[in-house]
Amino acid sequence: MAGTSATLTAAREADAAAARTVKAFQADGQHADARERFAELVARHQRRASRIAYHYLRDAADADEAVQDAFVKAYSHLSTFREELPFDVWFTRILINGCLDRIKARTRRERWLVPMGRATGQSEHAPVERDLTDRVATSGPSPEESLLARERRQQIADALARLPERQRAVFVLSHVEGCTSREVSALTGLNESTVRVHLFRAIRKLRTLLAADRGAAAPAELKGKRRVTS
Amino acid sequence: MSLLERIGRGHLTDRDFAHLWAVGGGHPHLDGCADCRARFEAFDQWVLGIGEEMRTEADAAFPMDRLAAQQAQIARRLEAIAQPARVLAFPKAARAVISGHSHVRRWVTVAAAAGLIAGVGLGQMLDTYRSLDRSARANAPGAHFTAGVSSARANTGIRPASLPTEDDFISDADAFSRPRVGSALLPLEDMTPHAGDLVDRSR
Repeated sequence: MAGTSATLTAAREADAAAARTVKAFQADGQHADARERFAELVARHQRRASRIAYHYLRDAADADEAVQDAFVKAYSHLSTFREELPFDVWFTRILINGCLDRIKARTRRERWLVPMGRATGQSEHAPVERDLTDRVATSGPSPEESLLARERRQQIADALARLPERQRAVFVLSHVEGCTSREVSALTGLNESTVRVHLFRAIRKLRTLLAADRGAAAPAELKGKRRVTS
Repeated sequence: MSLLERIGRGHLTDRDFAHLWAVGGGHPHLDGCADCRARFEAFDQWVLGIGEEMRTEADAAFPMDRLAAQQAQIARRLEAIAQPARVLAFPKAARAVISGHSHVRRWVTVAAAAGLIAGVGLGQMLDTYRSLDRSARANAPGAHFTAGVSSARANTGIRPASLPTEDDFISDADAFSRPRVGSALLPLEDMTPHAGDLVDRSR
């Protein structure tokens, strides 16, 4: 994992310096300068934040709003930021809490509303075109390759959606964002050994789910997993 | 290779691989078993592949132009934090008509001025009409009868102390209403007709 790489350390030092400067500008009432400096932090963490939010919320528009809210909240509460934690860990924690709030709100909303897919007779797990970008034709792969890749991504997304919330969070942070167990522990508030257990269970379950989806899982492996999980 | 065969030989299972992946470190069996090493490499690729697929999917949902728009939106929202909140007029329908378009305002002003002028003019006309009516009543035949009665009363010497005559009343009113003016304005004052003069002239 790249958590201990020199590049990451340098990036974190730059983040800490930027955060210090923004705090100083805010304290002096120089808000224009503070915003300008904060924009650097936004540019540096925006993509990573968007990925995390997207995997939590599974909706591009929702993820977009969650990322915006998280940056605005981080700017407003920067005075509470202490440098014991790296800025990205502190910020990601804000983002994850925001995403979890949104998921709760969505669950409450969906309790009272019938989803469009079910109302029109679509399958719950049918691939849904979530965004305009799904429709944009790319010049690279052929339509067949694109379709296969899309199906594969949908399978992964469905399997991830079936994971318990904590397992999913730990898996996303570890494997999509390359966080170490210690960082995931700081981000989620879980014990480091608990993080490892969640990660282990998430991988095992994904293996089972994706093998079942493909229909090509070796019977011996499946038997082995059943034996393990029982 | 079946599961029983693997277990029998002490080979690693997917569970072991997942554990190795989650906890890290190595396993002594991997060093000596090429088969398990190959399987673990495949497992490793599979897990890395999932991460890669997930990153690709998220990046497809957030192309560069979308990220740029998001950045601009964040900048706008941060700018809005520093500015004081705008006070919106509420309720909108309760706004005064006068504060509308300029032509509406002009028409309202003209109508108000016309109403004022008409009111003052009517008031003046009504006042004049009343005074004329009073004088016409004084010239009417019934008025002579009243005058006759009053002169008869004067001849007989019967005159109620509590009821002053009309002439007394008018002259008192005239004296009361006569403005107190300086000597320089007395010629003008003399030129101005008085109610008493009208009564005298009618006689």
